[in-house]
Amino acid sequence: MPNKKTIAVIFGGKSAEHDVSIITAHIPIINALKVADKYNVLPVYIAKDGRWYSESSMNDLDYFKRADYEDRLTGDKLVDISLNGGFKIIHRGLFSKSIPIDIVFTAMHGTFGEDGSLMGMLRMANVPFVGCDMSASAVAMDKIFTKQIIAAEGIPVVPFVWFTRYDWEKMPDECLSEAKKLNWPLFVKPPHLGSSIGMAKVRDEKGLRDAIEVALHYDSKVLIEESVENLIEVTLPIIGDDEPQLGAIERPLNKSDFFDFEEKYLSQGKKTGLSQGSYSEIPAKIAPDLAREVETLGKKTYRALGCSGMARIDFLINEKSNNVFVNEVNPLPGSLYHHNFKTIGISDIDLVNRLIAFAEERFTEERKLTRTFKSEILNKIRGGKKGEN
Amino acid sequence: MIKRFLSRFNLRYVHSLVYMLQATEYKVGDYFSWLKRVDDFRFVEKRKKLVKTLKAKTLLVMGWLIWIVAILFSVFYSSIFGYVSTIFLIILSPYVLAYALGIIVLLGQFVQIPVENVIISQARKVLIRHKATRIAIAGSFGKTTMREIMNIVLSEGKKVAAPPHSYNTPLSIAKFVKELKGDEEILIFEFGEYYPGDIRRLCEFVKPDMGVITGINEAHLAKFETLDKTAKTIFELADFLGDKPVYVNGESENARAHARKNHIIYDRNGVSDMQVKKAETDLSGTSFTLAINEKEWNFKSSLLGLHQIGPLTAAIAIARGNGLSLGQIQSGIAKTKPFEHRLEPIYGEDGVTILDDSYNGNPDGVKAVIEFLSSLKTGGRRIYVTPGLVEMGARTKEVHREIGRELAKARIEKVVLIKNSVTSYIEEGLKESQYEGEVIWFSDALSAFAALPQMTAKGDIVLLQNDWPDQYA
Repeated sequence: MPNKKTIAVIFGGKSAEHDVSIITAHIPIINALKVADKYNVLPVYIAKDGRWYSESSMNDLDYFKRADYEDRLTGDKLVDISLNGGFKIIHRGLFSKSIPIDIVFTAMHGTFGEDGSLMGMLRMANVPFVGCDMSASAVAMDKIFTKQIIAAEGIPVVPFVWFTRYDWEKMPDECLSEAKKLNWPLFVKPPHLGSSIGMAKVRDEKGLRDAIEVALHYDSKVLIEESVENLIEVTLPIIGDDEPQLGAIERPLNKSDFFDFEEKYLSQGKKTGLSQGSYSEIPAKIAPDLAREVETLGKKTYRALGCSGMARIDFLINEKSNNVFVNEVNPLPGSLYHHNFKTIGISDIDLVNRLIAFAEERFTEERKLTRTFKSEILNKIRGGKKGEN
Repeated sequence: MIKRFLSRFNLRYVHSLVYMLQATEYKVGDYFSWLKRVDDFRFVEKRKKLVKTLKAKTLLVMGWLIWIVAILFSVFYSSIFGYVSTIFLIILSPYVLAYALGIIVLLGQFVQIPVENVIISQARKVLIRHKATRIAIAGSFGKTTMREIMNIVLSEGKKVAAPPHSYNTPLSIAKFVKELKGDEEILIFEFGEYYPGDIRRLCEFVKPDMGVITGINEAHLAKFETLDKTAKTIFELADFLGDKPVYVNGESENARAHARKNHIIYDRNGVSDMQVKKAETDLSGTSFTLAINEKEWNFKSSLLGLHQIGPLTAAIAIARGNGLSLGQIQSGIAKTKPFEHRLEPIYGEDGVTILDDSYNGNPDGVKAVIEFLSSLKTGGRRIYVTPGLVEMGARTKEVHREIGRELAKARIEKVVLIKNSVTSYIEEGLKESQYEGEVIWFSDALSAFAALPQMTAKGDIVLLQNDWPDQYA
């Protein structure tokens, strides 16, 4: 159909969450787009080595379920991208074909995808894209930046300290004494990694030293924060721009020291044979006052970070003191947290369509901004060709 | 045209033909008309698969033999008339095979009919000796539901037997009679009508003592051609019963129009001396109060929809007539629940309710279900999935337009239509009534079912209305 817009779903990527991204792209994004039949759906896959591919057969998750799919890629043609006059996917070869993209649905988690890199490129290409913009993504991917910004807005965060690898190498004792001002036990985290890689809970100085070494192996900065006792962990997915709509407050049923919704959500069903719904409690059975607090802080955090389209905010609650802390912000939750939105009456098709509509609205609004202005600066600048002065 | 021709030359061709014969219940006329309609012989088995019965296996072997012999013959023929004739005969061979199989089935019936007659006459003798009260049910729709309701309610106080599945032809009823123990007090029979005279023959066979006429509408209209012929055939039951009790569903206009003075009319307002009050329905079932001799009796059934109250009250009246106490009847009604594929609720883990109404393919049933759907207040959306209705004959266009109008009036949020020869009329009806919801099209039912997880969310109710068997492709 010639009138249909073309939507590119970009997934995969050079990231630890490469495989999760394939799942997000297909369930629910591509599956819902195929059923809705409103767009030409172009799968754009970035392999672990950073090469770009786009084959229609990649619209099917089965393509990636084959054990030898990475070997098969060598037989598939690589594609080029063009940012000139819009975003285009170019099939190379004798009969080179250029496909202009009307909208991009980003489905890449972690580095390069969720950290704002991809968004920056799409901004340059002047194409609307789904989800948080470059600055919100970049901030959310750095746990230290996130805490600094939201704490400045008066949003409660767990007490923390941070330092760089350089600081640790030059003045380890000062770094340690800062950390020891916090209440034990402590969490040590590399601030940019999405899953529990490089993370540790420590109870003494020896453990702290080791954990800092490990964290700095993965990142150039380290985040040390107090651990919350009598802990309830909940998460809240949110969609929208200026008037965000909240999903349901969700609480995982599996307790662990390391709270990573992505891993639990995507692997639990498979390991235990449970359905996706039974790994967590939706809505979380917490006191109404706490739920209201979570919702208020969720909205405030979403706004403070400049999130748009979608994000998921994780909270830590001390069950006894009733203190609620914002822990981190995830600008692209795995599988768009579609299971959560379904419980409040938003189907996969509705979710995907709304996210696309938000992307288009944001793009239209952005175009209204004045980006250039007439300047006399070039004429006024001193110097020039010889003899002109 | 070329695709259709080439699709005959595939290894599943014989299999497809035998499947078509089986799907049409070996009605050769229907099989021949299907043959004319098929677009691609590779894909005739969509909704079901060939069941490898002895008859089917014999036909498969015969089919292959005919084809091989035809090809060998054409090769032999070439030695006399040259290669052109061989090619011509090979091209012709699948056509010869398709019709030859139909003719074999026809010839087989010459042997089968006398054998069947022997089985039926043996059953007739058993029935003559049997002392049970016989209740016969006839009608264009709602027969199985009526049979099941009566079976459950009457079983509270009597020994009851009724044929299973859709056993409603002389042969299938004869098979059921063979299984009887002899001590049954009530026998319930469902009479199927395909051609004029069918019900009369079943009456002469079963000799019913009372009857229920569940309604008359366009079901099988393609075969009967006019509603008047359908009514006359169904009322052959009333003709046979004469002064004996005949219950007629008053909610079916066509049935009521043909009812006689001595017939007992039942509907959602009650029957005989029993008036229905406080009728309510939702996803948990249907409840109502019956005022009988100035006393009130409460009934609750798990069947869904106010349209079920008519058949329930008819069963109550028949049970009272057969000596059951109102206490026994109350407990019987409480045991009635949705029957398989007949407005049967399936609750998904994701909070989506599927109402499987895939065995309901008649206009009255559809109207009743849309009414039920519009009465539900769940907060979720209502999604109505249908391939339309088959065998509506000359009324096809109007029946489907009316469905569209009803859906628009009921403000159903989403209508999912399967592309075929009738669903565009539903869309016309929707447009005519300024439908404000969303119409979603699918090329076949399976892809629509597969898409449901993407289309639904917690609280949504999906109604699967009717199935579209392969033989109507």
